[in-house]
Amino acid sequence: MSDLKQLLKELSEADGLGGILDALEVAEQHLKKYASVRREGNNLVGEMKGKSDYTVMLDAHIDQIGMVVTAIKKGFLRVANVGGIDRRMLAAMRVNIHGKRTVTGAFCSTPTHLGNVDKAKNIEDMYIDTGLGEKASEVISVGDRVTFRQSFSDLSGTCVTGKSLDNRAGCAALIRCAKTLSGKELPCNVVFLLSDAEEINGSGAKTRAFSVDPDEAVAVDVSFGNAPDIEPEKTGVLGDGAMLGVSPLLAKNVTDALKSAAVKSGAKFQYEVMGGKTATNADHIALTRQGVPTGLLSIPLRNMHTPVEVVDLADVESVATILSTYILSK
Amino acid sequence: MEQLKALCELHGVSGREEAVRSYIIEKIKDKAEVKVDALGSIIAKVKGKKRAVKKVMADAHMDEVGFIVTYITSGGMLKFTAVGSISESVMLARRVVFSNGTVGVISTKPVHMLSADEKSKFPEEEALYIDIGAKSFEEASAKVGLGDCAVFDEPYEQLGDLVISKALDDRVGCWGLVDIINSDPEYDFYAVFSVMEEIGHGARTATFAVDPDYAVVLESTTAADIAGVPDDKKVCYVGKGAAALFMDRGTLYNKDLFDKVLETAKEKNIPCQVKSYVSGGNNAAGIHQTGDGVKTITLSVPCRYIHSASCVASVSDVKAVRDLAKAMIMKMASGEIE
Repeated sequence: MSDLKQLLKELSEADGLGGILDALEVAEQHLKKYASVRREGNNLVGEMKGKSDYTVMLDAHIDQIGMVVTAIKKGFLRVANVGGIDRRMLAAMRVNIHGKRTVTGAFCSTPTHLGNVDKAKNIEDMYIDTGLGEKASEVISVGDRVTFRQSFSDLSGTCVTGKSLDNRAGCAALIRCAKTLSGKELPCNVVFLLSDAEEINGSGAKTRAFSVDPDEAVAVDVSFGNAPDIEPEKTGVLGDGAMLGVSPLLAKNVTDALKSAAVKSGAKFQYEVMGGKTATNADHIALTRQGVPTGLLSIPLRNMHTPVEVVDLADVESVATILSTYILSK
Repeated sequence: MEQLKALCELHGVSGREEAVRSYIIEKIKDKAEVKVDALGSIIAKVKGKKRAVKKVMADAHMDEVGFIVTYITSGGMLKFTAVGSISESVMLARRVVFSNGTVGVISTKPVHMLSADEKSKFPEEEALYIDIGAKSFEEASAKVGLGDCAVFDEPYEQLGDLVISKALDDRVGCWGLVDIINSDPEYDFYAVFSVMEEIGHGARTATFAVDPDYAVVLESTTAADIAGVPDDKKVCYVGKGAAALFMDRGTLYNKDLFDKVLETAKEKNIPCQVKSYVSGGNNAAGIHQTGDGVKTITLSVPCRYIHSASCVASVSDVKAVRDLAKAMIMKMASGEIE
């Protein structure tokens, strides 16, 4: 578990948003120990050859939510969100501004003497303080990416917290799976896809699923973890294992194979039943070319799209175990 | 500024100032006669080169705002209330840490699940909780008890002349006062490092014990010199020197002394500005009303986003407050101010 924690820490603390490839770099360093890797655009593709021509693609998106600079005004920045951001948490939050060099900034917080702060401002009405004054324009340009500045930390038991665990937890599960499979004789080809731009439009998964042209696929992402203020039926319980996606959109044979793998390996799992789209890359991959039978495994995660996302490493391990068992059982 | 960094990173929620107190005592014990009063404030009798004509007390508070655990749910989540004034707008999705190292996060419902109305409305503090990753009451209780306090878990960072930290309020004052004590001062004076400013103690007990003629408060104050704020509401500016106060919501300062502050800044060439908006309050409110009354001034470091995980101040202002405070303490002690 300590290996997994170190891997997830490295992935979490690196940034990956719209051409910033630090997280991709970290993933590449790990995945290349087990698979033959190449970059396709801002995506990482790792391949392991098997005995047959049949190809299974495992996907986890490696991009993260963030912001982009839209205007610079005397050292203060206006930004637009990239992906869904809870504007209620932004005041006084620290960020990394990816300019000519990386600059620490903080969202301006409205002082109480200025009156009613009961309502959270729209993100486009907020400012980021760069502390650089008039010199900001020398370092920062419109279009520069902005990410949450947050380190990774242990919590109680096997829980951890950090930024971008959506979906670096999924990336970590894929890398763990690759490690388990490495050196083994594989029944089929396995392609590991760490895909870009899920938080925007899924273009990474759409275009790479097209180029890889797999026979079947499994998407790995995060989903809502249990919390006191959310109805239990909308969540998975942290520590209760991988959430096995069940939806009309997902291929029943793949879902069944994942379930059998969970049972066979003894890995904990729980169901996540959806009525249609899954709001993950599975939606895109399934509709590629003439259609790809696709399954979905999710890791329960609290505080999604904040710098303090929480996952249980045991659930990441469950996903990795189910994936490797599923591949070896093909 | 290693000492400022060290001071800022210590935990010192109001009433739990032990770590800050020990650190400061260690740094001043060779230069002053130190005692700790019944409530925990440090009263240091500082030996100068000359005996003071008037008794002067300088004050900086050791405590910071934070969170106190009020209840642990059966599922292992911690309910809390703020110690001192912390807006819900700077609580959500912040990491916090207890003095035993236990880390938690102030949790929020994911943005995907918020109704249109919820998206712009800050939740009430009582709807919030700290998640330490515990899955049961028992697991949480093994790490945290009721009454335990947490602070914002954000690192101190220096960016050019600016520093960013959870506890600039008022470790900048503590830093300045420690530095003055160690600077071989001309006259004897009393330095008080007080407890529980954030919950309104106002250094009353320490002031009663010292019974000074004059007091100088080293503080931090809101700077609203940010984009989108009209100039008349900016209060003061980061990087433009020590902010001198003529009035806040706790004190209407002695006019002659206030004038003396501006005059002294000019004379000594110390960057100084006037706080240009009446808001906030500090220990001066308690100090000036103690005993038979104490003539008091406040010098503040302008600080953006005060009472958050990311207070921002300028090192040059921190030094200006120290320098101007020292100059005023010495003038007062020398008897040259009537």
